[in-house]
Amino acid sequence: MTAADDIFDQSTSNVQGLGLCEIPFTESPPDLESETLQYIFTGREAELRRVFNLFQSRERRRVLVYGRIGIGKSAFLREVLSVLRRKRPQMPTAYISLPADLDLATTALIAVAREMADDEWAQRQLYQMGIPTAKILKERSAEAGGNLVISGKVTEKDLPITKPLYPTVSLDTLLERAQEKYPQGVVIAIDDLDKRNPSAVRQMMHDAQGMLKGRAWFILTGHPMGITGDLLTSERGLFDLQLKLEELDQPTTYKMLINYLNSARINKGSTDPDDPRSVLPFTPEAAKHFCEVSLGKPRLFNRLGNTVLDTAANMQATLIDSEVLAQGLKAAAPELRERAALSVQEERVRAFLEQRGPISDETITYEDLEQLGLRSFSEILPFLERLEAADLAHQLDQDDSKAFAPIALPPALE
Amino acid sequence: MGKGFGQPKVVPTRNATQFMRAFGKCYAKAKGDKRQVEQFLQANLAKLDEHLLDALSYIFPKLLADQKFGDKQNVATLFLVFGNTVGDFPLGDRALNLELSIAAYQVALKVYPRDMFPQEWALLQNNLGNAYVDRIRGDRAESLEQAIAAYELSLQVYTRDTFPEEWAMSQNNLGNVYSNRIRGDRAENLEQAITACELSLQVRTRDTSPEEWAMSQNNLGNAYSNRIRGDRAENLDQAIMAYELSLQIYTSDTFPEEWARSQNNLSDAYCNRIRGDRAENIERAIVASELSLQIYTRDTLPEYWARSQNNLGNAYQARIRGDKAENLEKAIAAYDLSLQVYTRAAFPEDWARSQTNLSAAYGNRIRGERAENLEQALAAYELSLQVHTREAFPEAWARAENNLGTAYSNRIRGDRAQNLEQAITAYELSLQVCTRNAFPESWARSKHNLASAYCDRILGEQSDNLRTAVDLYQEAAQVFTQEAFPLSWAENQGCLAEALINQASLTDNSDDLDTAITLLKEALEVAVPGSPGFIDSQYRLGNALSRRFELNQNANDLQDALKAYKTALDAISPEHYDREKIWQALPTTQSVLGSRLVREGQWQEGLQLLLNSVRLLSEGDDQLAHANALYQTGRAHETLSDWDNARLYYRDALRLYEHLNDQPGIAQSRHGLGSVLASQGYFKKGMAELQQARDLYQQLDRQNRVREVDNLYQAAQRAEQQLSEVPA
Repeated sequence: MTAADDIFDQSTSNVQGLGLCEIPFTESPPDLESETLQYIFTGREAELRRVFNLFQSRERRRVLVYGRIGIGKSAFLREVLSVLRRKRPQMPTAYISLPADLDLATTALIAVAREMADDEWAQRQLYQMGIPTAKILKERSAEAGGNLVISGKVTEKDLPITKPLYPTVSLDTLLERAQEKYPQGVVIAIDDLDKRNPSAVRQMMHDAQGMLKGRAWFILTGHPMGITGDLLTSERGLFDLQLKLEELDQPTTYKMLINYLNSARINKGSTDPDDPRSVLPFTPEAAKHFCEVSLGKPRLFNRLGNTVLDTAANMQATLIDSEVLAQGLKAAAPELRERAALSVQEERVRAFLEQRGPISDETITYEDLEQLGLRSFSEILPFLERLEAADLAHQLDQDDSKAFAPIALPPALE
Repeated sequence: MGKGFGQPKVVPTRNATQFMRAFGKCYAKAKGDKRQVEQFLQANLAKLDEHLLDALSYIFPKLLADQKFGDKQNVATLFLVFGNTVGDFPLGDRALNLELSIAAYQVALKVYPRDMFPQEWALLQNNLGNAYVDRIRGDRAESLEQAIAAYELSLQVYTRDTFPEEWAMSQNNLGNVYSNRIRGDRAENLEQAITACELSLQVRTRDTSPEEWAMSQNNLGNAYSNRIRGDRAENLDQAIMAYELSLQIYTSDTFPEEWARSQNNLSDAYCNRIRGDRAENIERAIVASELSLQIYTRDTLPEYWARSQNNLGNAYQARIRGDKAENLEKAIAAYDLSLQVYTRAAFPEDWARSQTNLSAAYGNRIRGERAENLEQALAAYELSLQVHTREAFPEAWARAENNLGTAYSNRIRGDRAQNLEQAITAYELSLQVCTRNAFPESWARSKHNLASAYCDRILGEQSDNLRTAVDLYQEAAQVFTQEAFPLSWAENQGCLAEALINQASLTDNSDDLDTAITLLKEALEVAVPGSPGFIDSQYRLGNALSRRFELNQNANDLQDALKAYKTALDAISPEHYDREKIWQALPTTQSVLGSRLVREGQWQEGLQLLLNSVRLLSEGDDQLAHANALYQTGRAHETLSDWDNARLYYRDALRLYEHLNDQPGIAQSRHGLGSVLASQGYFKKGMAELQQARDLYQQLDRQNRVREVDNLYQAAQRAEQQLSEVPA
């Protein structure tokens, strides 16, 4: 046994000291294949109901799930798909995160083709794009020798990698083949559209109008604003349902904490919120406070939860009371900043926000802007959104202005 | 030359006498080998001084008394030879050398009376004329008159019948000096120059005296290059033809220096040529300058080398092909080289000319800090004006004053209002010499520049300034015709159009806009697509058309404006356009075009342009343009029903307008903001904004805006009432 082995064992036993077999909090939601999701996914009943109501229709529908970054769009999407996989096994669901520099039609084509492993044409499409397929496809060609000795040889050569010339047509062909096999239709879920800049997404949507109105069901996740507000989506009726995900309320967040902890608990216990043991190793008071600072944002909840449990384990605590929680949150602030790796200007805006408290396009003054070396709020907005993405700021729920506030964590330990 | 004052007895003559004796001995020994005589002067450089100049006219008797050089005529010949040698001598103080040469000729002339020695006398007059042409000291205008007088005296003896060759030589020289004459009517002087050169060419034929023929062709080329009368395009082509004829004889093998000189002149003429492809002409100018520099090296022929460097600089400064920034750096480098030889002491005139050219290059420079470059330009003009005084070099003085005006017009440092007043003063000074008759091109240029300064003027009534500017541009247009000066014509048309557009914005007079549009369309017919002038004209045309659209709401004007803006925008590229203009034109064009496109339904493209313009303007100094672009972006988002962004940009615009205290801007931003808030259902907040917008529009007396806001307000009020009536 080396010293490092010792440390590893110590670490395991520290987490076990908290009654958990692992730290359940993660940066991004679990895979579709994993069963974890169904244990930890909490709330959103109304939203799920609206989506599943649509699935009772025979007609193909298009759903846009939107909301701020870290609000749980991907988790929601995966939850919808995992339910569909269980309830509608005859309806293949294709999930894909939008790759950089790809249009929607090609993205959808890849997603569907992957789900059709035994369709040779689909696999060929993937192969031609240089995407690994289940079977290796080779093209055979015969080459006859020109001399008198009669010999023939057969060579195998790799196919050249080419993107589909007409992705929309290719996708349509593929969906046609799919339809024969799956009369109930195919669900194509494209995630992470909000990782691209809004104008690029708007252009993609514009280009993909024909595809979206075609043979498949579509579920897309997108930006909190912009897409939803413009002519294309609202007036041209591109989506049958535009679903906004909001911050979770406190009781739901509390329930979510119970579910997360229970998924990792060594001895399964109570999941009744009224039972103080349901939030162990948290005390109910600490659990409540933890949910408050998480602001109902699943990703912030996960990031903070991770640090808090980590801190508690390092302290070899067996219970997370207010004292231990405070230590954990103190450690979280510098960790979030470190993880964010802010640029000089982003850091300037962050410091300004921390010093000034909430700012909005309505209340900020010209002098404030000058202090930041800028002349308009629209110039700070990208920095604020970056801070939001890094959980260093959050947007206030105000519809008549764009307002941001710092995330209130206790100051870091000196 | 016997100076009027100074007592003969107190002038020490011993050293001078010894020097001339030694010179005489050397000359006798050299037996016509010019190089040996020059070597003698080089060895005795220190003796070529003011004392020698003072003593020269007194030592003739002493040399005669020596009896070493023969009789009076022989001693006089010695002075003639000394005058020739020292006048051409490239070392020492050139101003002094020329004085020595003149003094020596004048001594010799006393000995050779015209009636007894007509030939020698005429030769001396001719040489004296040459020395006066080059003279540095004294009043230049007067020196040139002296030169003309001397040549004309020589021509009294050298008649065509008796001494055809000499006659042709003096005609040639006379032509040369008339080309540069300051006094008298300049147009007439140049006609005289052409006549004289053509007379000399009647005798000097290519077959009989090819070398002289080539020289006169070269001088004829010079006169045609500057000619005022007749068709300018034709004159310049005549000049080019004359230079090219001279180059048939002057080859780089047989007459390398002359070949190089004609190449250099050819370069200058191609630089100014009107006919043919301008870009191509300038390339030819560069080639010609570079050819001349194959012969002219700094060591062997420093003066000519410097002149070719100067011309090369001019060609690079005017160059159309290649990278503009790079061309200007090459021009500056060439001028700097020429100034290594053209020092103020030895070649004051050339020094001043290169300084002037250098200033112009600094004024246009793209690299480096612009404010600093303009200060450099100002400093160089001030230097050149120390030599190019009004009395001695009226033309160059006037040109420098004109350029000084331009540098002040563009100046970034200092008080802008004051700089423009300085510019106006400088242009007006230049116009005192550059009269329409004597220097029509320079006159028109200064009128044009003066007009531009009035357009920008800060002091005085704007409407008065614009009226003055329009009048001045129209005056310039009398000379800048499409045929004679196509480039300047187009530029002047464009500026006149701009002044008319500005005037129309004060008066809402659509006649001015109609005229402006006609002028710009004419200019565009001949403009080179992609050239700065072309982009300017397209941009102005866009402005004029969109302004006219605002007045008459004719959709065709809007379409045409869109097209013009688009063309301008497509043509703008950092390589072919100067920085200052791109910074102004690009974002402004983008924001105008962007907001038009959005309203026309091409919202993706339009919004992209607007966001680009906002980004560019946020880094610039023009805060009002930035505020306008923010406002237009807000409007575009509102058109797209993107309320969140519309609100955000209206608020940004409002904040900036308030900072700038721009009342119309504040009113329109509150108008937009109120409309968006009401659309989102925030009726109270929206109505409060609308109320403030209405009050401001009322103050600004914008009645149709007041009505628009009233309608919106009432709609919001109704909607609010309906909402409160609906049971929760």
